[in-house]
Amino acid sequence: MDLLDLIDTIQSIADGLLFGATYAMLGIGFTLIFGVMHKINLAYAAASVGAAYASLLILAGVKAPPAVVFLLSAVAGGVLGGIVYVVCFRFIPLVNPLATLMSTVGLLLLIDEIIVHETQGVPLAYPALFSDVIVRAGPFGLRGDLMFVFALGCVSMVVLLLLVYRTRLGLATRAVSQQPTAAQLCGISLDQVNGFTFIVTGVVGGVAGAMTGAAIGMLSPLLSLPLTVKGLIVTVIGGLGSIPGAIIAGLLVGGFENIFQFLRGVSERDLYVMLLLFAFLVFRPGGMFRTSSARE
Amino acid sequence: MDFYLGLAQIIGIHTLLGLSAYCVLLTGQVSLAQAGFFAIGAYVAGMLTVLAEWPLIPALLAAAVIAGAIACAVGFPALRLRGLMLVVATIAFGESVRLFFFNFDYQITRGNIRVGPLGGEGFRQIRYFPEHGWSTLEVLLFVWMVVTLVMAALWWMDRSRAGAVLRAVGEDEVAAQSTGINITAVKVSAMTVGGVIAGAGGGIFAHYTTHIEHVQFGVVLATFAIAYPILGGLSNVFGTLLAVLFVQGFLIEGLRFLGDWRNLLFGALILLAMNLRPRGLLDAGAIAALRRLSYRKDATGA
Repeated sequence: MDLLDLIDTIQSIADGLLFGATYAMLGIGFTLIFGVMHKINLAYAAASVGAAYASLLILAGVKAPPAVVFLLSAVAGGVLGGIVYVVCFRFIPLVNPLATLMSTVGLLLLIDEIIVHETQGVPLAYPALFSDVIVRAGPFGLRGDLMFVFALGCVSMVVLLLLVYRTRLGLATRAVSQQPTAAQLCGISLDQVNGFTFIVTGVVGGVAGAMTGAAIGMLSPLLSLPLTVKGLIVTVIGGLGSIPGAIIAGLLVGGFENIFQFLRGVSERDLYVMLLLFAFLVFRPGGMFRTSSARE
Repeated sequence: MDFYLGLAQIIGIHTLLGLSAYCVLLTGQVSLAQAGFFAIGAYVAGMLTVLAEWPLIPALLAAAVIAGAIACAVGFPALRLRGLMLVVATIAFGESVRLFFFNFDYQITRGNIRVGPLGGEGFRQIRYFPEHGWSTLEVLLFVWMVVTLVMAALWWMDRSRAGAVLRAVGEDEVAAQSTGINITAVKVSAMTVGGVIAGAGGGIFAHYTTHIEHVQFGVVLATFAIAYPILGGLSNVFGTLLAVLFVQGFLIEGLRFLGDWRNLLFGALILLAMNLRPRGLLDAGAIAALRRLSYRKDATGA
């Protein structure tokens, strides 16, 4: 490998790390919901893509600046998160894990089909900020839109961490995730906390959907299944229920997938991401940051 | 008429897929790897009949054995995991199988055409049935013969000690272990049986469609596989059959007149079914009600 290849490799790692911020956000969403409810929400990535679509469709015809589109996507994500909770979890007995798994699959299919129905399956262009900026550093160049996406992801993660660790609502959420019965005895309403967690993760998902759209430049209903798989992989590699783990694993998966896309081509790329996951499952089944609540 | 025969064939094939997931679900494990075993069976059986020119039944048996062996090998590391970890590990396994076949080329020249799997273009010309003069009705009878055999075997297993052991592990692992059940052996056996059934189903599927490609074996097929037993209920094998009839016969074919709206209704009806009947369509309560009904009929008749 000569110098030029080395530069290209490092460049693709950097691009991948920047894009990995979206995976990190999705991983946080899966991890938070798993933390409080010990359930998987398979409709999460689909709802995130759906929120990004909703922001485009609501503003169709209006020439809105990208920042407004992003904000609207976050709001739509929160609303969708609440709907997901009511439709898939609220009225189904929690002792039966298979039922909620199946109901979220049903919702995943439903959201995908609503998107296809509304857009006739044609991918839509998504606005991006700073897409014409390229920061040069020696032989390397960093794309402005990816850097913006990365920065947006970092800001959202900091806000989320503050929310979880510095507010009373966050305290209640953590109490429920550690010991639901004791939390209930202290006067915390499980339904309220669960619903609140779904709305917060929905907002995170809406931002992640907008970030994906901005980074790729377009939205397609075909995005939701690969994003679901990647988000779940990030959650497991980072350690179930661990927010810092999801962040680091998201960046890791982003960089890892881009380097193999550069070295081995796009059709084999995901095969190596799966191998990374298998390596973690065999050698470190608890993920990078194992939390006590993930001992199940 | 041919349309309904074809529909009955696809219902049979999907019943096999659902039954393979049913075995694993009985032990309380959610496996999304069944589409991967199904793909392995499809490619192996197709390659054996097309490239090696084997007869169909040995090819299907070989496909079932190979898929079962791979399921057994996957079972050992995977079943140390539980819950979400297992779901993710099996999704990743299924996707790896799909991506493997996406990058898999093995073609030979036969006459003046090249046959065999070709990466993204898929595997064409699996023409065993037309070449050997099987009519649609004969294929249909063959498919349902296999389905009946598998269902009868599982029905018998359910009522024997093996079924009780599987359900014990599914209900409460710790309790099962404390009565002396080796839970790893039970789970790996269930996984292997599931792999064998999925492999045979995949082999039949390859010969039914004559053209397989990697996109057919994705996450969607894997979720369908577990959807059948969950929707139908885990009380007995007929729940799975009922769910396949509901999904393939009613939701997919019966609602075709709705056009574009059918797909929307599909997800919504699954949601509704899970909200109203969280333990499946044919749960223990429904079966008890059916029993009471038939009992009352006997009583009045006598």
